[in-house]
Amino acid sequence: MVLHLSQARNPLIIIDGIPGGNLDLLQQDDIESFSILKDGSAAAIYGTRANAGVIIITTKKGKVGPSRFDYNSYVRTERLVKRPDFMNATQLRERIKSGEYVIPDLGGDFNYFYDLINDDNLSHNHNLAVSGGSQTANYRVSGNYRDIQGFAKENSRREYGLRLSLTQRGLKDRLTAQFNVAANFNNANRLGGGGWENVLTKNPTESYFKPDGSPLFTRTITNEIARLSLEKNRLQQQTSSVDGKLTLEIIPGLTGSVFAAHQRDWTISSEYRDKNSQNSLEDSNAPGGGYAARATGLSQNFNVEPTLDYSKSFGKHKVSGLAGYMYRYEVNEGFNANNRGYVNDLFEDNNMGSVPVVVNRIGIGSNKNDNTLIAGFARGFYSYDDKYILTATIRREGSSRFGANNKWATFPGVSGAWNVTQENFMKDVRWVNNLKLRLGYGETGNSGFANYASLVTLGGGGIYLFPTGEYLQTYGPNRNPNPNIRWERKQETNFGIDFTVLDNKLSGSIELYNRVTKDLLDTYTSPQPPFIVSSINTNVGTISARGIEITLGYLAVKNENFTWDIDFTGSTTRNRLDRYSNDEYKRDLKTFGGIGGFGALGDAIRTYEGRDLGEFWGKRFAGFTPDGKWTFYNRNNEVVSNAQINTSTFRDQTDLAVIGNAIPKYYLSLTNNFRYKAFDLRVFLRSKLDYDILNTMAISYGNKNGAGTNLLNSTFTKYAAIKDTYMYSDYYIERGSFLKVDEVTLGYTFKLKGVRNLRAYVTGQNLWTITGYTGNDPDFVADTGLGPGIDSRSPYPSTRQFLFGVNFGF
Amino acid sequence: MKTNNKIILTCLVAAPLLLMNSCTKLDENVYDQLISDNFYNNKNEVLSAVLRPYTHANAWVTPSGQDGWWRPSELSADQLAWPTKGKHGEDGGKWKRLHYHSWLSDDGPLNNAWSLMYWGMGLCNDPIENLEKRDISKMGITQVEKDAYIAELKLLRAFHYLKLMDLFGNIPVVTKVGTPAKPATMPRKDVFNFIEKEIKDNIAKAPLHSKAMTGRMSQAGGYAMLVELYLNAEVWTGTARWDDCIAAADKLISGAAGGQNGAMALDPNIFDQFKSTNDLSKEAIFSIAYEYRQAVFEPSWTGEFYHFQQGPIYGGTRNGNDGVVVIPGVFTTYSDSDLRKRGWLLEGPMVRFDNGQPNIASGGNEYSGSQVVFVDNIRKNKIGSTVSNMSEGEENSGVRFNKYKLGNSVPGIVNGVPVPIDPNYNNTDWNIYRLTWIYFAKAEALMRKNGGVANAEALTLINTCKQRAFAPADFVPYTAATLTYDELLAERGREFIFEGFRRDDLIRFGKFTTASWWDHVPSASFRNLFPIPQVQRTLNVNLAQNPGYN
Repeated sequence: MVLHLSQARNPLIIIDGIPGGNLDLLQQDDIESFSILKDGSAAAIYGTRANAGVIIITTKKGKVGPSRFDYNSYVRTERLVKRPDFMNATQLRERIKSGEYVIPDLGGDFNYFYDLINDDNLSHNHNLAVSGGSQTANYRVSGNYRDIQGFAKENSRREYGLRLSLTQRGLKDRLTAQFNVAANFNNANRLGGGGWENVLTKNPTESYFKPDGSPLFTRTITNEIARLSLEKNRLQQQTSSVDGKLTLEIIPGLTGSVFAAHQRDWTISSEYRDKNSQNSLEDSNAPGGGYAARATGLSQNFNVEPTLDYSKSFGKHKVSGLAGYMYRYEVNEGFNANNRGYVNDLFEDNNMGSVPVVVNRIGIGSNKNDNTLIAGFARGFYSYDDKYILTATIRREGSSRFGANNKWATFPGVSGAWNVTQENFMKDVRWVNNLKLRLGYGETGNSGFANYASLVTLGGGGIYLFPTGEYLQTYGPNRNPNPNIRWERKQETNFGIDFTVLDNKLSGSIELYNRVTKDLLDTYTSPQPPFIVSSINTNVGTISARGIEITLGYLAVKNENFTWDIDFTGSTTRNRLDRYSNDEYKRDLKTFGGIGGFGALGDAIRTYEGRDLGEFWGKRFAGFTPDGKWTFYNRNNEVVSNAQINTSTFRDQTDLAVIGNAIPKYYLSLTNNFRYKAFDLRVFLRSKLDYDILNTMAISYGNKNGAGTNLLNSTFTKYAAIKDTYMYSDYYIERGSFLKVDEVTLGYTFKLKGVRNLRAYVTGQNLWTITGYTGNDPDFVADTGLGPGIDSRSPYPSTRQFLFGVNFGF
Repeated sequence: MKTNNKIILTCLVAAPLLLMNSCTKLDENVYDQLISDNFYNNKNEVLSAVLRPYTHANAWVTPSGQDGWWRPSELSADQLAWPTKGKHGEDGGKWKRLHYHSWLSDDGPLNNAWSLMYWGMGLCNDPIENLEKRDISKMGITQVEKDAYIAELKLLRAFHYLKLMDLFGNIPVVTKVGTPAKPATMPRKDVFNFIEKEIKDNIAKAPLHSKAMTGRMSQAGGYAMLVELYLNAEVWTGTARWDDCIAAADKLISGAAGGQNGAMALDPNIFDQFKSTNDLSKEAIFSIAYEYRQAVFEPSWTGEFYHFQQGPIYGGTRNGNDGVVVIPGVFTTYSDSDLRKRGWLLEGPMVRFDNGQPNIASGGNEYSGSQVVFVDNIRKNKIGSTVSNMSEGEENSGVRFNKYKLGNSVPGIVNGVPVPIDPNYNNTDWNIYRLTWIYFAKAEALMRKNGGVANAEALTLINTCKQRAFAPADFVPYTAATLTYDELLAERGREFIFEGFRRDDLIRFGKFTTASWWDHVPSASFRNLFPIPQVQRTLNVNLAQNPGYN
């Protein structure tokens, strides 16, 4: 679902009631439960950070009773599903022989694609948790070690994690103190994992190496194999979070709490390219000297949130209220340096001052920015006999990012629920176990865009000749200030039905939603003159998403030896750009989805005011001329050559038309869980239906015109007729719909004396995909965001994952 | 216990309230950027703002690889084109639309040109405003310096308007940042008058041209602008201004406007204007000054002109996108004895500078693995096709740019003689106005005044320029009989190829929309102006469209 134009945002993670958690710090084995808050009115209390949704996570806690040990572990390997169907040396020679393709035969037979793959990849994960508790205190400490070997060579990550949680009660249970510390240390090798396009398109008769075994460097194209041994790219990261919460029952019904948290994410990235690496040898400023780079970054945020909570019952009436304040300060800073010309490969990036500084070789930079978010909020709750429930929230929120006059805004939310099964008239309706109707409305703000948009800032404009003969930096305005920039506002209305019927066998919910985002924050084209630069950060337009989501759970069989339950979810959403103009700014279109590749084919997606997001606008293919040239239909349905096509953005002039939509109409998933005696089996299917993908791989590598690289085999079959340049049209738009067997897990639980829990399991992931799409795995093609539906020319290969694990507890 | 409760209660209630009072501040802290209020504190800061528009001008006035002023000025004319070459260069059809004169009123590249040029204009407005409102004592400069900076910026602003008017004709004129919010179209004639008045009002306060003014707008640049204005005045306003053109040209020719290296004069060697030390040229009037070793500010035109493996031809490291080529037939308008033919253009098999061996193409295009050979035709020779049009090029199609040279970053051998590394490699300045162009403008004005006949002075001006392109034995001077309008246009083409003036020349000689060349047939006369970009019109309702466009 697309709710913003400015940037993709992450949902708010609430871990154990504490907002702003970091998923990196959480291991699967530490999670007790996980749910997504769907109701916009409920999200309103969390404010701007809940704008992209809320995920609520409860972690495992120590429990009263004897101390417990839990150990969980798995090993995993990834296997290739398929290599994109480029020619091998034999196939290429056949095309050379038949005269269909003119390219030099250099005598060899190479398939370097497989040399980028780490065939023996084996990852493992270990998690040990100890926990325990008494009547007044409990604790849980878990340690995690994970060694992930990438499917690609020189692509791995090793990490250590720690999570500690402690809860203690005192003052006769009126005071609760809760502390969490979590940390993750990881070292990643980021060198590999790319270069797929280069190895696939390389002439398969040509070696990457000279006869003497030394690497062959050809300036224009990276030697992907030599690179893996001659370069390094590493990242060290430490992420930590410390939080604490004190809760005191002041008088019965009234509790006060103070929560404080600090999160810190610190990185060092290191790069080195050997003296005899391609990048060093081909560099014009320091040919044959090593290249070193190091960058450090520190992101921190500080949160304080005091709240007061009151609740009271009067007979069948229940009321409660909450009031609070939130302060959040976020600061990011970084430093980076790179230099060339190192005379040995020993120091790498650890002694960067060891060569003289030369202007054209060195790069250095640093940055720092911060922002503050402050809110006051209140919530009131009333219920009568658990039958009628009413909640109202209000949040006043301010962000430093906005213009002086618009820093603050108020966001209300209100919701009501009716527990129908509590009514007398439902008493005799035996087949309905539970029925609840919900209606809610809530607003949240979005401040998710770059800092300083409201200020006039000057930026470096490049170095120029000063009258002294020196060359010095110039400075000029680098953005159009917008002191009026204000909060983007999302208004969400939900209607939901929750039900459980048929002797508690079938349960589910139906959710209807309408999300309207107004005052969209976006980088908008500014009129020049009078503005200096060509864009301005401002609030323009409205985007809406309306849809329905159905969740069903059915307990098909349940007896002593065998249970079978089925979960289904399905959703459909319509995303539309309702308006993209306001009183000040008039535009009716925004384009997305850069096609990339040779020939600068531009953007594939045009979103016009009043139309759906994700629409492909392109030429309509009308056939090839006898000599293989493209022809297209113009708007009068006449067949014309490419040069005669009008690509105007005016809808009354353009020959381009809607040729597809990249956003799936339906998302479906189905889970079957079986349990037979000590065996358990889970089968998870997933599907996206009714959408289109632009097959960019075919555009660029299914066309022999002007090519001198390796090509897809289909160039000479399916695409054999093309004797013209690269072209974007509906010829390359294909249906993306697929059904995937996403996961199958088979487990067995052992019953042993003295052992609380012992289970072993095997899991297969991404096992099988049914699709008519002929490009890469359609599931890997983006279907959200603003430029969806564009396949990749350098796809990370689709893999199947196999996992073997044990859970052990005593 | 009760007391305890009260204390705790008080603390819990008071704490948030205290926080609320102190923590509702939402000021932004700026750490790594400058705010204009804090700037202009010393001469260096002032200069760094005054010089900002020049680095920006690199983007739009030179063939920088961006859609600025240069591309529509040259690729719509009869010398240069960017044909589709195999898999490269379709680029959304934008090169064909320029060549065929079928550009749209919402053509992205034209809006980009508008946007870049007005951006540069805004980078003049901003320091003018800031300098005018600030006291010299706070800026650490003298009143004379302040006046000179403002005059220079106003001349530079006039230059932006001159080139905007050249492309778009009727345009809004704004002299303050941000106001008016929706400036209205000004008729071309009024824009012309505004530019002329700005130049005349400020030229005397601007510095004379000098070494220190290299790469900047001086009095010399001001007079060159006047020459350009008056040379095209008949087209732009309906009123010829030949005498004014001659008077402005004389200011430059006489040296009254200063010179970059001593007295202004024609460079005796026709290649001196285009080499890596062309900052030492005597005829430089206004240029964009590049310096690579200290400033890493390098010419950006390699992307536009160079083949994917052009670097080795020069012993340089810079390659290009295999883009702009010379239209078939232009090469042969140069006689074989014309030094400019091989000196400014590349044709035939290419060899490496470092070892004299064939320069081999790589990169997976038609001629990967073979020697790079530039040919004076645009067609698919590899498959034996004779079809020649904007769609049917291949990797080696077309004669190439060789006018400006970057020098060599590796040693090489030329005609058996070793050549050391050029210490000025990649420093080559780009000329916006040079004295040769002023000579031609004055000669043309004299001819126009004289009913199309070149008088002795006009002949001398042109012959003085042209003789530099020939060995003395090969040079045939023009006579009044041979230097016709058509010949003048042709000679202008040979002399100023790649320099951005061809569209203007064709318009002034009445050929731009009426003549045919290669894959181009006559278009409609309204195409003498580009359309006001539709994007700008949707953002500003007060902009009128040029006639003929909708």
